[in-house]
Amino acid sequence: MNSAIEIAALTKVYGEKRALDGVDLQVPEGSVFGFLGPNGAGKTTTLRILTGLARPTAGTARVFGRDVVGATNEVRADIGFLPDVPGFYPWMTATEFLRFAGALFGIGKSELDARVDALVELAGLTGVTTKLGGYSRGMRQRLGVAQALINAPKLLMLDEPTSALDPIGRKEVLDMIESLGGRTTVFFSTHILSDVERVCDTVAILHEGRVVTQAPIDELKARYGTTKLVVEVTEAADEFAERFGRQAWVSEIERLDDGALVLTVSDIELARTAVPAMVAERGVGLRRLESGEVSLEEVFVDLVGGDS
Amino acid sequence: MRGFGAFLRKEVSEIVRTWRIWVLPGIVLFFALSGPVLARFQAELIATLLPAGESGLTIQVSEPTFADAYVQWTKNLSQIVLFAVIIMFGGMISGEKRSGTAVLVLTKPLSRAAFVVAKFVSYAGLLVVAVIVGALLTWGETYAIFGEAPFTQIAEATVVWLVFALLFVALMELFSAALDSQAGAAGLGFLIWILLGTGALWGPLFRYSPAGLISAPNALILGQAEPLMWPILVSVVLTLVCLLASVAVFRRREL
Repeated sequence: MNSAIEIAALTKVYGEKRALDGVDLQVPEGSVFGFLGPNGAGKTTTLRILTGLARPTAGTARVFGRDVVGATNEVRADIGFLPDVPGFYPWMTATEFLRFAGALFGIGKSELDARVDALVELAGLTGVTTKLGGYSRGMRQRLGVAQALINAPKLLMLDEPTSALDPIGRKEVLDMIESLGGRTTVFFSTHILSDVERVCDTVAILHEGRVVTQAPIDELKARYGTTKLVVEVTEAADEFAERFGRQAWVSEIERLDDGALVLTVSDIELARTAVPAMVAERGVGLRRLESGEVSLEEVFVDLVGGDS
Repeated sequence: MRGFGAFLRKEVSEIVRTWRIWVLPGIVLFFALSGPVLARFQAELIATLLPAGESGLTIQVSEPTFADAYVQWTKNLSQIVLFAVIIMFGGMISGEKRSGTAVLVLTKPLSRAAFVVAKFVSYAGLLVVAVIVGALLTWGETYAIFGEAPFTQIAEATVVWLVFALLFVALMELFSAALDSQAGAAGLGFLIWILLGTGALWGPLFRYSPAGLISAPNALILGQAEPLMWPILVSVVLTLVCLLASVAVFRRREL
């Protein structure tokens, strides 16, 4: 699969601070890609470089194979971008701003008319004649997504599109992003894990200016899920919790509401043979033995050390 | 310069639909209309400031003429209107950077050169139109009050001032591209104005630089003007240099 974004050894230094420290990243075309990281990890800096707003100190960043350093109009013509806090002209209406944005792309009048109507509807702003200066944060974000789509971009880049929104505004923006799935590549930075789980199919986790992992979400969960084992016995669960806790390959035990035990293990193959043997030796029935579900949050906390 | 036309239309709309249409044109038109009246009643106004018949002081004020009205116009242009330009235009570029609108438009196919040039064209256009309308009003009102108002004199003085003012528009754009602070850019603008005013005392600078244009509008009205070819030529060249420098500086800036 072709890459919409290819980043290699990207480094950005501000004075003494390394905002990006050799970032490598590939965003497959057609994916909804979550760029996840705690505040200050370097997400916005990466997006600013990708959009030509900032220059890298070292390394390369390419969008559809073209270097973004000194990004030309040809590169920008293929992308739609929503910054974390979009700035609008307060004296314009939504329709006027979308028309202006479309005119910057050189979109013809009839096509622009159709797109503006569709995007105003997508943003839930039909019939709103208020000037942009009077918009709520949610309305601004929705218009921000709409203006980023005015050129029907091959790549949509969104920087923290849901941060600082109330639950309803967040849902509206996520619904908009979700509706784009399969139509365009979406590169979506956030520190909100549940947003990524909801709309993204692939994720990269950035921490202190480095990409610590990149994979499809399911693969990532499966990779980290192999360290969890759910064990349910017919009786003596407390005794087994104690016995499992004494094993060197068990690092943590959690009790679920239904009485099952979730073991965090260092050697999954050893655990899969040792657990049934221990249960059989005690003469107790084994009701359930399966790999545990792991949430993206657990993966994230594990990878970034819980300092988000 | 793709996107130039669309961005220039936005700039013109912004001027027409926001406070910008009121402030600079308002200042220009106020002084355009008040100048001839002040010139006509100058003697009476001065007389009201003196204690009647007590001081024994006699001030002789010559009969006002159209030249007094014109000098009021050029004096106001050279001071108040230029100061307004320096203060208002100090945020030409930094204002869009600060509000976040520059990020939205410059991630679309609008080059930074087109952004800078469109800003210059729109702001310079606002100034030129306001000053030409102001000059015409002063001319008409002067004729109505004094019965005499040679057009060439006010036209020449206004055009010469506009050449000098456009240099300051370009300078303010350069400072606004380089600095995030509107006040900082305005401070630099005032510094340049003071340096030029001081430098005008030195002959070569007066004859071959924009410093020679500071007092030129008044001198043209009073028939005392020195040759202006070099100051005008150098000012035009410097305006273009400042515009190119603004593009170069803004291209290098991270947003």
